[in-house]
Amino acid sequence: MNLKISALEYVQEVQNGNISAEDFVSATLDRIKSVDDKLHAFLSVNDAAINQAKEIDKKIKLGDKVGICFGMPISIKDNICIKNNATTCASKMLENFVAPYDATVISKLKQEDAIFIGKANMDEFAMGLTTEFSAYGPSKNPWNTEYIPGGSSGGSAVSVSAFECVASLGSDTGGSVRNPASFCGSVGYKPTYGLISRFGLISYANSIEQIGPLTRTVKDTAFLLNLITGLDPNDSTTVDNHNEDYLSGIETGIEGKKIGIIKEMMADGTDPAVMSATKDAISKLESLGATCEEVFLDMVKYSVAAYYTITATEAGSNLARYDNLRYGYDFPVEGYEFNSYIEKARKKFGPEVTRRIILGGFVPSAGQAGKYFLKALKVKNKLTKEIDEAFKKYDLLIAPTVPILPFKIGEKIDDPVALFLVDINTVTANLTGKPAISVPFAVSNGLPIGIQLLANSMNDKILLQAAYALEQTVKLPEVPL
Amino acid sequence: MVTEEEIQKVAKLMKIEVTDHKEYVDKVHAMINYFDILDSAGVEDEEITTQEISISNLRNDEHIPFNERLIEKLNHYKGTYVRAPKMS
Repeated sequence: MNLKISALEYVQEVQNGNISAEDFVSATLDRIKSVDDKLHAFLSVNDAAINQAKEIDKKIKLGDKVGICFGMPISIKDNICIKNNATTCASKMLENFVAPYDATVISKLKQEDAIFIGKANMDEFAMGLTTEFSAYGPSKNPWNTEYIPGGSSGGSAVSVSAFECVASLGSDTGGSVRNPASFCGSVGYKPTYGLISRFGLISYANSIEQIGPLTRTVKDTAFLLNLITGLDPNDSTTVDNHNEDYLSGIETGIEGKKIGIIKEMMADGTDPAVMSATKDAISKLESLGATCEEVFLDMVKYSVAAYYTITATEAGSNLARYDNLRYGYDFPVEGYEFNSYIEKARKKFGPEVTRRIILGGFVPSAGQAGKYFLKALKVKNKLTKEIDEAFKKYDLLIAPTVPILPFKIGEKIDDPVALFLVDINTVTANLTGKPAISVPFAVSNGLPIGIQLLANSMNDKILLQAAYALEQTVKLPEVPL
Repeated sequence: MVTEEEIQKVAKLMKIEVTDHKEYVDKVHAMINYFDILDSAGVEDEEITTQEISISNLRNDEHIPFNERLIEKLNHYKGTYVRAPKMS
């Protein structure tokens, strides 16, 4: 069984009767069994997957209506609720939590007969960019298992890259889909804010986070977007995309498009290999008929501080609900006074989450808000103005997804500010609500490099067309696992 | 420059028990010091805008009964109440 096929190829193969959902899902589970001890992409695996696949095969045989996913095995980041499934956010705080309802994205994929093969590992509550902050241990980069896979959707990226599923859903608050996609050599997409419902995504920073797909190809991302985007009455921030078909016209090309090269995202600290890959990508886009020139976004250098200030504030509020009374782990209330119980129960949060909760109490507090939180909101506003101005002149913007190559597990874990700065190129899309994609483009020293493209809000379709054009210019080696 | 006492006071307010000084106070200190870069952003005159959603775009505020007894999914409950430790 060839597991190295794209989502669209899978659909075609099952539709044509060349493979059965059961055989493919069974082979996928075997693959997980054989490689996941080493990679740790999954926190839990769906034991009922084979039976679900059999049901789909039965429907196909009987000529019943079958959803367009035809039993495609998809991994789901463990902060997205699947009814009656453990949803831990990779935290000991939620180790016993079983979701009582489906996230909207899950309901939509269930209607299309997707199979959720397992819940993917992540940084605890999506706070991190290496997956080292998972309470259940880090995921490993399949290109070199001594290296981090990126994060926070590290398990999602690993599972796609290592052929443990066909596609995955992650969430992107400051690059958490694009960063691991870049580090693991898969496509990672952060949609326009509001394009995909957040209902059922366990909140970290509501004002900027979005669910996004990780796939093997740009076309697969467009395919998944067709299934999961659109208005949702359960999320008032969703926007009407008028049932846009992101796959149609994806091969349009980029001739005549104007692309701005974000100067501040190619600064001195950029790894030479990343810089060289980005320049190569720009040349290839030019050879396809695009015009590329430098653009300056002054606020980018303050974006990381603004991002962490805003997200910590929202996290402090969102995570206040974890008192272990309504949901949480097994810890009896008898013998405790209220406040001491809560303090004790919240010790189950890991170190990074604890730090961000403290930050989230500090930066918006009386006497500090003007210096930190309000200033961060002003930076966000000015950055949005700058990027809106840039999009008056350019159709797209380009930069490396991450300015450095993947680094070794443990290398930066004790330096929070060094970790912050890895996000420098990705947080802009989140703070401004713009869509952005990471396209695997090069490999250096056996580690992948992704190129990031950004477009104006609701121009997701144009962004995918450009990403597809860029993707067609390269053929990367296969993951050496 | 933020002081250790301030960090510890906020941790208490956020109901976080801080025991490991190096793991929490020192690192939070470094993070907050990094945020001081915002002072040089020159955004004092910038306005803060918010995105408003019209009330007509919100779903109807109606009671939809959940088809399972959610209370039974909680760790601590008695009858139809959440069970909590005593308030001092």
